[in-house]
Amino acid sequence: MAADGRQLDNTIEIVTPENIAFRYQVAGPFRRLPAYLIDLVIRAVVFVGVTFLVMLLFGLAGIPFPGIALIFVFLFFLEWLYGGLFETFWNGQTPGKRLMQIRVLSIDGQPINGLQAMLRNVLRVVDQQPVAFCLVGLVTAMMNDRFQRMGDLACGTMVVVEERPWFHGVIRLNHPEVIRLAGQVPASFQAGPTLVQTLATYVERRAALPPMRRLEIARHLAEPLRKEFNLSPGTNPDLLLCGLYQRTFITDWDEATSPRTGSPFQEPGTS
Amino acid sequence: MKVSDLLKSRQANWRELEQLCSRMEGASRRALEAATVARFSSLYRSACADLALADAYQLPPATIHYLDRLVGRAHNQLYRSRAFNFATWGRQLLVDVPQRLFSDNSLRLAFSIFWGMFLLSALMAYTTPGFSQRVLGEDGIMLLEEMYSEPIQGRAAGLSGGMAGFYIHHNTSIGLQCFAFGLLFGVAGLYITAVNAAFLGAAFGHMATVPQADNFFHFVTAHGPFELTAVVLSAAAGMKLGFSLIDPGGLERTAALRRAGRETMPTMGAAMVMFLLAAIIEGFLSPSAAPYWTKAAVAVLSAGLLTVYFLVLGYPRGD
Repeated sequence: MAADGRQLDNTIEIVTPENIAFRYQVAGPFRRLPAYLIDLVIRAVVFVGVTFLVMLLFGLAGIPFPGIALIFVFLFFLEWLYGGLFETFWNGQTPGKRLMQIRVLSIDGQPINGLQAMLRNVLRVVDQQPVAFCLVGLVTAMMNDRFQRMGDLACGTMVVVEERPWFHGVIRLNHPEVIRLAGQVPASFQAGPTLVQTLATYVERRAALPPMRRLEIARHLAEPLRKEFNLSPGTNPDLLLCGLYQRTFITDWDEATSPRTGSPFQEPGTS
Repeated sequence: MKVSDLLKSRQANWRELEQLCSRMEGASRRALEAATVARFSSLYRSACADLALADAYQLPPATIHYLDRLVGRAHNQLYRSRAFNFATWGRQLLVDVPQRLFSDNSLRLAFSIFWGMFLLSALMAYTTPGFSQRVLGEDGIMLLEEMYSEPIQGRAAGLSGGMAGFYIHHNTSIGLQCFAFGLLFGVAGLYITAVNAAFLGAAFGHMATVPQADNFFHFVTAHGPFELTAVVLSAAAGMKLGFSLIDPGGLERTAALRRAGRETMPTMGAAMVMFLLAAIIEGFLSPSAAPYWTKAAVAVLSAGLLTVYFLVLGYPRGD
């Protein structure tokens, strides 16, 4: 619900002290609820375990009452301070959040401090109203573009997705027809930025599409290009786009067989 | 320069940054050498530069996505959460909090409502037969009278400690709930405060009329000042949060809420200290067989401490 209507998906931009802007994906309820449930299970298991152990030890020693006191104080810590302490000392994560790969940050992208972590966890009881249905939290979160619940709003925090990134480089298409078509693209043809983006997006996703669907999608872009390149009318539109991708991202037209070596970019540290 | 060559030349750096991130996320963070940390920050900055130039390099969207995640992950390791600043806690609790509370309208309101309802309810219960039954219910009255049917003789050895733990958990939880529900525009906080005050008042008023009165006051006197003040303080802090949404004072509502959150957390710290003191007194002294004058003395002493805290430490200073 960004005011300028620019934001369609749930990403937000952070400007780092290095003056670089990068994007985070804000965590929605389907990551945060499982994280909370995992934490709930951990708390329950730990509580049962500790209760059993303490009662055993203090019972054997013949002084059960200090043990009971200990258990109550421990229960208080688990109920109210578990999330806050973990988020303080684990850099904005609890065990559940770590498993779901999300992290709490200040809205300016800075790490949270202890007070923020405490406050947002104490205020969780409000977000869970009415009676554990979490309506207050859900409605509040839907009304702002960082998906902040009441507790997050009060201490200026947000929860972002922090996945272990999986490297996607360029996609190698070793189809002979693709290589051939790549060679037939005129040497003078330079793809503009939007065409490059479109090609990359198409080739990254085509593996998930059935062959007929690929033809259907590729035709709209491939047909004008085919006419421009003077290729035969029977050219497969899907493979033509792949060839152009090959030409743009991987090889120059005259170097189809021998990729160039050496790079003008230096390693950091060796320059 | 083709993208595939560029990626080939950078991939090693990115992978190394990933591995360093994993190491810094793990437990071995403190064991990292200075050279490794320097290498990490150098790799991080180079990844930042790659991301900044992603459009110029015409990187494919999946790679940009990867770089966004990688830079974000490294950013969170380089700029880590600050834990508590214990050095400022003493100053916060003893100087800032009482100074702020002295002129705090939410506290005045919570104080008036709590004590107004309490006294009203106690008076009604004392003078009007049947009032306390309607407020607390027949069962509640029965339970209350049964609880204090025995003179306070001290508990079985060791039980006091157990009860102190229970009170820490139970009372502080109520306080924190009182605080949190204030966030709902202060209405829920007002309601909880008023209802609790009415219940407590009715219980006091009723118990003063029955034969168990001595036992009752024997029990509640010593820890009363700390506990009731802590409840009022929690409710006031919660209301401050809620009222900041109603009257943002010229700020955006979210900004006003954030400011109120920053200001009320130390107040809640003070309230939790009071709950802790009350729980210790309630666990150990209140149920003990100590004569009534010791308990009254503790009550007077704690009330005096609270007066000093709120009025002397809180009195506006000239500076």
